[in-house]
Amino acid sequence: MTAVGRRAALRWALASVAASAGCAPSRTAPIGAGGEGGERRTAPYVPFDVTWLIRPRQGRKYLGVSFGGASVTPGYLDLWSRKAGKAPNLLAQRFSWGEEFPADRVTAVWRQRILPYLAWEPRGRTLREIAAGVDDGHVRRTAEAVRDLNVPVALAFAPGMNERGLPWGPRAASAGEFVAAWRHLHDLFQDTGVSNVVWTWSPTVTARPAVPLEPYWPGDAYADWLGLTGRYGTDGPRTYDGLFGPVVKEARAFTRAPVLVAGTAAPAGGRKAAVVKDLTRAVTTRDDVVGFVWVDATDRTDWRIDSSTGALDAFRRGVADPRFGFDVRRP
Amino acid sequence: MTATDDRATTGRYDPESTLRLRVPAPRGPHLAPGYTFDEITRADWVLGRVPDRGWSAAPSPRRTLVSRALLACLLLAQAVLSLRLHNSAFEDEALYVYAGHAMIDHLFHGAPDYGGFDTYFSGSPALYPVLAAWVDSAAGLTGVRLMSLAFMLGATGLLYSLTRTLFNERAALLAAGIFAVTQSTLFLGNFATYDAMSLSLLALTAWLLVRNATGHWALPLAVAPVAALAVGVKYASALYLPTLALLLMLVAYRRLGTREAVRRGAVFTAGTVLLLGIALLSTDYLQAIQSTTTERAHGTTSVGLLVRDSVRWGGLLSLLACLGTVLYTRRPGLGEIPGHRPPPAPPRGWRIALGTVLTGTALLAPAYQIHLQTSISLHKHIGYGLLFAAPMAGVGLSRLMGAHLRFPQAVIAVGVLALTFGMSQSAQNYGVWPDTGRLIPELAKNVRPGQKWLGQPHEGPVYYLSDRGLTDYTLWTSIFYIDYAGRKGRHLSGPEGYRAAIQDGYFDGIVLDWSDQPGDIQTLIRQEMRSTGRYRLASALTYRTSVGSGHFEIWLRLPAAHTS
Repeated sequence: MTAVGRRAALRWALASVAASAGCAPSRTAPIGAGGEGGERRTAPYVPFDVTWLIRPRQGRKYLGVSFGGASVTPGYLDLWSRKAGKAPNLLAQRFSWGEEFPADRVTAVWRQRILPYLAWEPRGRTLREIAAGVDDGHVRRTAEAVRDLNVPVALAFAPGMNERGLPWGPRAASAGEFVAAWRHLHDLFQDTGVSNVVWTWSPTVTARPAVPLEPYWPGDAYADWLGLTGRYGTDGPRTYDGLFGPVVKEARAFTRAPVLVAGTAAPAGGRKAAVVKDLTRAVTTRDDVVGFVWVDATDRTDWRIDSSTGALDAFRRGVADPRFGFDVRRP
Repeated sequence: MTATDDRATTGRYDPESTLRLRVPAPRGPHLAPGYTFDEITRADWVLGRVPDRGWSAAPSPRRTLVSRALLACLLLAQAVLSLRLHNSAFEDEALYVYAGHAMIDHLFHGAPDYGGFDTYFSGSPALYPVLAAWVDSAAGLTGVRLMSLAFMLGATGLLYSLTRTLFNERAALLAAGIFAVTQSTLFLGNFATYDAMSLSLLALTAWLLVRNATGHWALPLAVAPVAALAVGVKYASALYLPTLALLLMLVAYRRLGTREAVRRGAVFTAGTVLLLGIALLSTDYLQAIQSTTTERAHGTTSVGLLVRDSVRWGGLLSLLACLGTVLYTRRPGLGEIPGHRPPPAPPRGWRIALGTVLTGTALLAPAYQIHLQTSISLHKHIGYGLLFAAPMAGVGLSRLMGAHLRFPQAVIAVGVLALTFGMSQSAQNYGVWPDTGRLIPELAKNVRPGQKWLGQPHEGPVYYLSDRGLTDYTLWTSIFYIDYAGRKGRHLSGPEGYRAAIQDGYFDGIVLDWSDQPGDIQTLIRQEMRSTGRYRLASALTYRTSVGSGHFEIWLRLPAAHTS
């Protein structure tokens, strides 16, 4: 081949490479031509599958902790893990109505192999207004944020709906309004394409006077966990059966959803170790209980696990069971 | 010619003559044929000597070679632009290929015919689907789509040859070029349905008829099977049979006169009708033909919207075809060789008839769909008519360019417009359905052999998952029809059927396509799943299409322990 011929061949080769590169689909190519169009995609292609988290396999249990709903630094969590002898795999935090979804906070929790649990408290809005769609924009934005984050989130909307003292309790809103608001919220999330939420229905077992819970149940398609909350007292029930048993029995009349003890603690005192021992034993031996969340806080009394050496030892022994604290990132 | 003379004729710089008002050269006595625009040139400019071969009116290997090389470039561009389109199997593609596998099992291996495909397909399930399934076994969906590309490239090639026979190479290349970049051609070239095969068979019929029009009168009878096959592959192709018969008669008339033209037209029509009649009597496709083609249910799409879509997708080519018809009617000559005596021009009436028949065919599909008020598949069907109008568009473009390629800028502008429309519209139409590329692996995790599923889309999942032995067509219920016999002595259909089946937890899983405008049945199914609590949303896969966004939902039946 002559020099001119070689040059021509080289030119054609370069041109064909350039043409192929030009025809190769790029991200900004139109949808239908191998690209995604000009608009940037934020939603995940494949959502995180949370169905296995609802009933963890092989009887594994959640070891959850809540620091009174406040967010904590990883260092503080490590400190607690060292005290408890095991790292938690669920962290309950508070999420206020109207607040932007705390994506960074949730991501930070998830990175530590901990399932984020958010108690979504509708302060500043009545349940009737939420059901009527007054804050649909906020709900949709939150749903999009949850979807785009693509990490599993346990969401407890209006926890303690049977507590008279709360702004969304029986004194302020009826059971029908609670169910309507819950379903409206849930449906908006589904319409937005959110499937990475574990919906947690969270009544307080110690609410007085007790109200019938069945009218508050939004339906099996709407709620995944019975997230029962209730703290032991210095007197009264000292066992799981005593404190949670009546409500679980009542709930079993209308649902078979698994139970998560979504917030419990025992006050400092002589019977704390026995309470902790019974709680961890009950959680590990019952198939329909998926775990518990310890409220490690101090307010009127010291609820923390290390309020006494005996209590701490009991806690450490209880959660040492290998079923506690599994890796929430792997089924 | 000496050097001095040469300078004098080509014009030496002379400030006086340069600034002088230019006067057009006086018109010569012989105006070149096909020469529609007055030329303004410098007074002192003369045409250089032209090599003889460039002016030869006789067929020459060089001309054939150049034309075919250009055609090859056009076909390459068409192939690249078609292959650029990218999406998962559309529901029709998946259904036809799957149906083909079922038909092969039925026809060749004695399996029961459970699909009932012949009752609702818009083409014979024993022709294209079987061929597609056969290719699918060897090369997958990509292979079937490549077969469509081959059909469409064949159609463009035949269009070139047909136009060359009717007019000349230049018109043929321009016709092939404008047809090759329309959205319907690019779309069908990567789309595994009947359309590409049927369209190429129509092109083949037209080509055979035009080539053999002046041969023996019985020759069109030999072409009738091809036309009948085109109709068998897709019933709606029958709409173009009159065009084919008229084209044959027109071409025959020009050489042989009225009697011979009518004779050939009658022979072709009789042969085709006879074959189709035999096919109709020996099969039970009549019901399908009525429901999908002749008595198709009327839609609710507005006329304005249909007209707008028709203009967007076929307007440019149709406009060029109209232009071609008008210009061809005004002046028959297409040659531009000075001194060449062209053969006698066809009469004006013939030219009008040819232009009207070919251009008018482009209006058939839009007119029929406007009559039905449905926009379903209009973007594909419009391509059939454009195939016939393309030769006239080629003439129009050729005239727009003028003799000696004098005004290429007009054709370049039209070409760029056509290319832009074709590329953007084909990509948009190819991105209308959501990509199931992420849905199928998610479903594969959940679908187990023998499980009963409900859903839309289900054709894609059935096609992809049956390949892995996870499911088959009989295990899926669509959102369009249900016959639920789960309750004693009662067959429930429609909304009641879906409601009862969901209440009873009949389905192991349900797939929904949830977009901004979900259908009534989808809304009912979802509402029922929520209120009964028998199912839980397991996965929502968001997607974006070229016209909007939405998400697929996979709902799974809750384990018994979870239900109340």
